[in-house]
Amino acid sequence: MNPLFNDDFQEFPLKRALAQVMSKREAGAKVIGAYCSYAPVEVVWAMGGVPAVLCAFSNAPIAKAEETLPVNLCPLIKSSFGFIELKTCPFFELTDAVVGETTCDGKKKMFELIQEHRPLYVMDLPQCPTNEGAVAYWRHSINGFKKFLEETFATTISDAAIEESIRECNRKNRLVEGIFAFGACKPAVITWQEMYAVATYAMSAQGSDAITQLEGIIATLTTRQEQKQFTSPEGAKRVLITGCPVGGDVLKVLRLVDEEGAAIVGLDSCTGLKPYANVTEEGSGDPLLAIAKRYLKIPCACMTPNTGRFEVLKQQVESLKPDLVIDLVLQSCHTYNVEAVKVESYVREDLGTNYLKVVTDFSQQDLGQLKTRIAAALEMN
Amino acid sequence: MLITIISIVIIDFINLTLLSRPANNSSPHKPTDHFPFGSAGVPIKLAGIDIGSRSIEFVILDSETTEIIDRFQAETSIDLSKQLGLIRERYDWGHLVSTGYGRQLAQKVLGGDVITEIKAYTTSAHHFHPTIDTVIDLGGQDTKALSINRSSGQLHKFEMNDKCSAGTGKFFEMMAGSLGLSLDELVAEALRGSKSVEINSTCTVFAESEVISLLTSGVALADIARAIHEALLTKLVSLLSRVIRSDSGEILFVGGGAKNRAMVQLLAEALNRQVIVPPHPDFYGAYGAAIHAIKSV
Repeated sequence: MNPLFNDDFQEFPLKRALAQVMSKREAGAKVIGAYCSYAPVEVVWAMGGVPAVLCAFSNAPIAKAEETLPVNLCPLIKSSFGFIELKTCPFFELTDAVVGETTCDGKKKMFELIQEHRPLYVMDLPQCPTNEGAVAYWRHSINGFKKFLEETFATTISDAAIEESIRECNRKNRLVEGIFAFGACKPAVITWQEMYAVATYAMSAQGSDAITQLEGIIATLTTRQEQKQFTSPEGAKRVLITGCPVGGDVLKVLRLVDEEGAAIVGLDSCTGLKPYANVTEEGSGDPLLAIAKRYLKIPCACMTPNTGRFEVLKQQVESLKPDLVIDLVLQSCHTYNVEAVKVESYVREDLGTNYLKVVTDFSQQDLGQLKTRIAAALEMN
Repeated sequence: MLITIISIVIIDFINLTLLSRPANNSSPHKPTDHFPFGSAGVPIKLAGIDIGSRSIEFVILDSETTEIIDRFQAETSIDLSKQLGLIRERYDWGHLVSTGYGRQLAQKVLGGDVITEIKAYTTSAHHFHPTIDTVIDLGGQDTKALSINRSSGQLHKFEMNDKCSAGTGKFFEMMAGSLGLSLDELVAEALRGSKSVEINSTCTVFAESEVISLLTSGVALADIARAIHEALLTKLVSLLSRVIRSDSGEILFVGGGAKNRAMVQLLAEALNRQVIVPPHPDFYGAYGAAIHAIKSV
């Protein structure tokens, strides 16, 4: 079976992304660190910059972070902050500026603690996306970010350049969606490791190289499908992962699913399909408004109401046909943790699919309990 | 010859410490009804082993009569492989299923299949009590609440305690230790006590400081013992409330914690439902594993 990427980073998607960022930086691109899927990367690409994801998923820097931050805080925030304190996050070290969004209280206040390290712009995200004025306000935030980039780097970002990057992002995002759609194959032809690698790659890739790479991946997956090259045994239980972003040490949950012989067929999170879903309107005449409309459709639990989450879950369950939906909640992520009440009811009652909520952090302390829970949920019919 | 005798003596000595049988082993619990599917040929010995964090339960069933032929309980040893090796030497069986936290290691040493303790409890609960749909298991370091479909016997939903041992049997052990009591003495005190004070934490570390503060302010030992039980009761009720249905009747209470009479009484009062504690409630994991083994015969 051919791998999806023919390079030296087979098991190391983050190193691949780092290499992409470094090569673009060497070619003169400014590196803009981003903490979430609401960062409007079209504006970064339009400037000739490259986005780099700064969300960290390693347990290693948490002890350092806890010297400053409260212990009972989201591990993603602690890990990201700890890396900055230790100066060991290669992505952060490469950044020329950082953009943050007010997606949660912990992150919002953490940004204040890191602002001395890099030029920082915090975008105020309206959290009632369907309320009157929300889109217009978010457009202002995006415009503020654009001005920040223009002032920080003494440049101008034209509407034409933004239009062009909208077209490129749309094209790239449709290919990523096409790759994730192979999750519907039964038995599976794509692993979660491969989906994760594609999602990680596409964040810092753009232009013709990215299009060629992603089209090549679709060709490889089509071959696998035609030649019945399966990545999971026939009859393997199928799992859809939803909830908080995952990566690094929290991939323990996904590995436990592997250990039980089940196949993860979808990643419905910000380190999966979520940043690539939805289309930004092209040629609207107001590219910032088009971007604002598209980004406010991202179904993050920070939004209320977050009806998009349920629409996506319905589509995903119908196309991927999972036996189990695992709702992965990071410790102290109140929005995902509370939204889980509605998600559980919707998945069980409306979609008729088994559901398991897992609340965890980046440590290994709960591996035994998680293994029992996941195995027990997969034993159920 | 001499070597053989010495080795038998050594094994027996280890057996005494690692495989000690409970005193009440003389009256084995017999299943209340027969398995729906007995083996047609020669009876096969079906073994189930539940390796928990605190104790191991092992049973052997006769596949034809479905009676329990043998059983033992022992504390989980630090050297679990050695303990399992002794079981392999001492017992024989046709098929074995392992459950509990040590199930993977048990499979390596003893062979057979593995199921989670959640499936094991579901299997035994539905087998012995087909009209009950709600089960609570209070184990050494785990508490589980199960909702079972009464007609199919399938698990509908389960909930477990958080990752630490707060809200489990271990909590009682630690609290008894803080009061200088044995577990039995703690239960006896709680049955005498009245609800005069509250302990708000089931975290053993925080609860210990609450207990000490109550002791130093002169609260009666019995009332503190009662408050310790009430604290854990809140946890059990919270877990159960996530699985219990409006038409659920009796609650089956299993696991080592079900031997705690004070807890059983308080749980029944809190839920306003009858709480059923079967004989040998701590063997329900092992029973479930052995019953599951029938499917492999």
